Amino acid sequence: MKEVLLKVDDVSINFGGLKALSHFNLEIRQGDLKGLIGPNGAGKTTAFNVLTGVYAPSAGNVSVCGQRVNGWMPHEINHLGLARTFQNIRLFRALSALDNVRVACRAASAHVDNRRLIQLRKQGLLGSAAAGLLEAGTNYLDWWRALLLTPGFLRNEQEIRDRAGELLGVMGLSPRATEEARHLPYGEQRRLEIARALGTRPRVLLLDEPAAGMNTREKADLMTLIGELRDQFSLGILLIEHDMKLVMGICEEITVLDHGETIAVGSPEQVRENRKVIEAYLGDSYLEAHAAVGSGGAQ
Amino acid sequence: MADLLQHLINGLATGTIYALVALGYTMVYGVLKLINFAHGDVMMVGAYLGYAAAQKLGRTAQSSFLGVLLIFLAAMAGCALLGLAIERFAYRPLRAKPRLTSLITAIGISFTLEYGFQLDFGPLPGAAPRAFPEIIKATEWFVIGDGDVVIWNWQVISLLVAVALMLTLQYLVFRTRFGKAMRAVSFDHRIAALMGIPIDRVIAITFMLGSALAAGAGILYAIKDTAIHPLMGLYVGLKAFVAAVIGGIGHVPGAVAGALLLGLVEEFVVGYTASSWRDAVAFGFLIIVLLVRPEGLFGRVSAEKV
Amino acid sequence: MDSAAVRVSSAIPTGLRGLAPFLIAIPILAALQLAVNEMPFLVYIASIVGVNIILAVSLNIVNGMTGQFSIGHAGFMAVGAYIAGKFSLQLRDVAISALPIALSDQILLVAALLIGGSCAALCGFIVGLPSLRLKGDYLAIVTLGFGEIIRVIVQNTEAFGRALGLSGIPQRASFFMVYFWVFLTIVVARRIAASTHGRSLWAIREDEVAAESMGVNTTGYKVRSFVISAFFAGVAGGLFAHFVPIINPGSFTFVKSIELVVMVVAGGLGSTTGSILAAIVLTLLPEAMRSAFIALSGGQASLAQKVDQIRMPIYGILLVLLMLLRPQGLFGNREIWDVLPRWFARRRKGT
Repeated sequence: MKEVLLKVDDVSINFGGLKALSHFNLEIRQGDLKGLIGPNGAGKTTAFNVLTGVYAPSAGNVSVCGQRVNGWMPHEINHLGLARTFQNIRLFRALSALDNVRVACRAASAHVDNRRLIQLRKQGLLGSAAAGLLEAGTNYLDWWRALLLTPGFLRNEQEIRDRAGELLGVMGLSPRATEEARHLPYGEQRRLEIARALGTRPRVLLLDEPAAGMNTREKADLMTLIGELRDQFSLGILLIEHDMKLVMGICEEITVLDHGETIAVGSPEQVRENRKVIEAYLGDSYLEAHAAVGSGGAQ
Repeated sequence: MADLLQHLINGLATGTIYALVALGYTMVYGVLKLINFAHGDVMMVGAYLGYAAAQKLGRTAQSSFLGVLLIFLAAMAGCALLGLAIERFAYRPLRAKPRLTSLITAIGISFTLEYGFQLDFGPLPGAAPRAFPEIIKATEWFVIGDGDVVIWNWQVISLLVAVALMLTLQYLVFRTRFGKAMRAVSFDHRIAALMGIPIDRVIAITFMLGSALAAGAGILYAIKDTAIHPLMGLYVGLKAFVAAVIGGIGHVPGAVAGALLLGLVEEFVVGYTASSWRDAVAFGFLIIVLLVRPEGLFGRVSAEKV
Repeated sequence: MDSAAVRVSSAIPTGLRGLAPFLIAIPILAALQLAVNEMPFLVYIASIVGVNIILAVSLNIVNGMTGQFSIGHAGFMAVGAYIAGKFSLQLRDVAISALPIALSDQILLVAALLIGGSCAALCGFIVGLPSLRLKGDYLAIVTLGFGEIIRVIVQNTEAFGRALGLSGIPQRASFFMVYFWVFLTIVVARRIAASTHGRSLWAIREDEVAAESMGVNTTGYKVRSFVISAFFAGVAGGLFAHFVPIINPGSFTFVKSIELVVMVVAGGLGSTTGSILAAIVLTLLPEAMRSAFIALSGGQASLAQKVDQIRMPIYGILLVLLMLLRPQGLFGNREIWDVLPRWFARRRKGT
């Protein structure tokens, strides 16, 4: 059995009185391509935010690569191997496409030290204060090397530049490398977000509506690309999408949320026929008007 | 013990003045998410307007009840207009721009007011401090012991005026439709606009209210200090802002609580150490609060939508 | 954005690339030093300009590149000035016996500067770590407060001369020394900007949440930029202390902090060359205006005083107009070499 990269165990989060997410469970292994769907406001993006550390869960456990990450800072969780894209594109708009990815790659090159630090902490060899100090020390040293332009640093920068360029190539954005992110057409911006997420050397990729606003052709291309990325980078992928055809077509397993609760989990066929799912999307009146639950399913 | 009581009273008196200014800060921050650096200087303008009104009224009229009332009203009306103008011409055009731009504009206006009033041609008063006319003859109203603890009449009046103004504001914010609109705008001004609330008008009136309160504070401060000068608003303004942050920025009762607390702490620290540390107290207090409870005493931790 | 720099620097062997600019700059500075040797007034003005350049460029790292709002920069300058000044004052009669006096003096000066800068950097760390976790507005108030706290501490400390100030600091800062540090600050700022670390700072400025989610330790980066900025402000203060006859709290007020913010904003937030240009213009302009008025009015000092007085409210109005009309400042977030070619191209096309 492949290693469990992301394990979500009975996670809930409340905002004041609002239960945004209740008893959410999920497992992602390498090679998985799973979907997370639900009507607007169901809590899908909230789930992403909890998994990536933007919010801390009120209950339950999130584990990345076997490490419990409740309450960790998002950048620390990212270093363990979890990356995401955003529902509303959040690129670094004034930076070039290449630079957007370079930032992610630079963060990734700090991973290596951080993973070791985490290991040492786990083995009890370093108290957390000492670990903090060591991390800070490494960071300041890194800046010293940047200011002195040491050969090691220059080599590092070149590697980052090369890697960023490769990722742009994978997403078909090479001709746009020096253009400011805000000037890119919408579809390319979405692909740039994915390239940037890949820059952080993730093992699990969370994609929040990556195909939103695209036309049918673009969507189909993107979905093929996502499948290829999964294979090329040995990832596990969790996808939020509204386009049912896409999700049903590409995902192996789908979780359906409604008002923060999981109302169905299963293969595309199972979900499509699930009465509760149809109800959630279309409402009781639809069901009554169309008594026969045919193969059309939720559109 | 007598010392303690005296400090307590002085602290409360100062605190209520800070509270009047802090309310303006917190209201404006609530609706615009802007630190109006110029607010303290509006207070200063209020004091000068009060001065001018008192001069106009003449010696006898200025100390009569009606005279004092007129002085307050003149200053408050004048500053309300000033606040309106500032909002209309300097802040409104920049509402859609990044917040830093508005912050810098606020600093620019603050500078213009502070240093403009230090020039001495035309109607501008010049840098030298002026004695504020004694519109309330200072008399000791309550004396405990042998003069160990003195409560002055102007302290009591100041407290009462401040409380009256705060209660009026409280009523406005929580019991009127306008107040509801104001609170709606402070939660989310885009949604409020979509709901049909005239946000431009709401924001403009919020500014006017805050500025009027600041004018009142300015006159009370002038009575306390017996002198006015163009930079008087700078430190009071900063401390009032600190008070608003301590109470939870955007939270109206919090601003009052924070201001009273700050007034007391300042008074006690100065009383038991030396007055030269006065200005550092506010900021030291602020840093401690920010370290321990950054959202302030009553503030809510606001989450950004991701 | 840095493609030109990449092309130039790839011509230089890797090991030397760090040092290369200095190998060129030092002889030039030495030549300039010789040229201005007999012109004390010019040296004084140039030194004031130089100090302001260091302050503006260092502030630009925090306010421009990282997009934070620090308005207490003069506080760090004060820390550097007083610590370095006190150090030199205590060691006034000390010299390193093995070396000629002039060299010994300069070494002690550099030591003083480094100590002053490091103390300022430490203050930057202490102030920055708690406040950079909070939203932007809070940093503004905290940095403002920090400046005020420093002022109050100095005013209450006998060792720093209270309100009267510290005098008698050996005036060792030469044109060469000041502009060496100016050059160093500019090089550091540019190297940060061109590196991926600088890109990360920019990312924080653009979208902090996204940066954090992409693995950037945003708090760490913000603190680091703050510390570096504070260090150079401290050095600037130290240099200042060594060419003015006396330093007192009045030189490091909130007004000074705001003047620096104006320079950075007017030059363009994030533009190192913009900060340099703005620092030069905004330092020289009032001086030039004052001299012009004195000359025109035939030596009437009162008119010149009036000009000085008007300067401040005009500053305020300028700030407001700047934000209303051209909030991106002179160069926006680019450098002069990115902007000029485009300006010229447009004029050639006759647009």
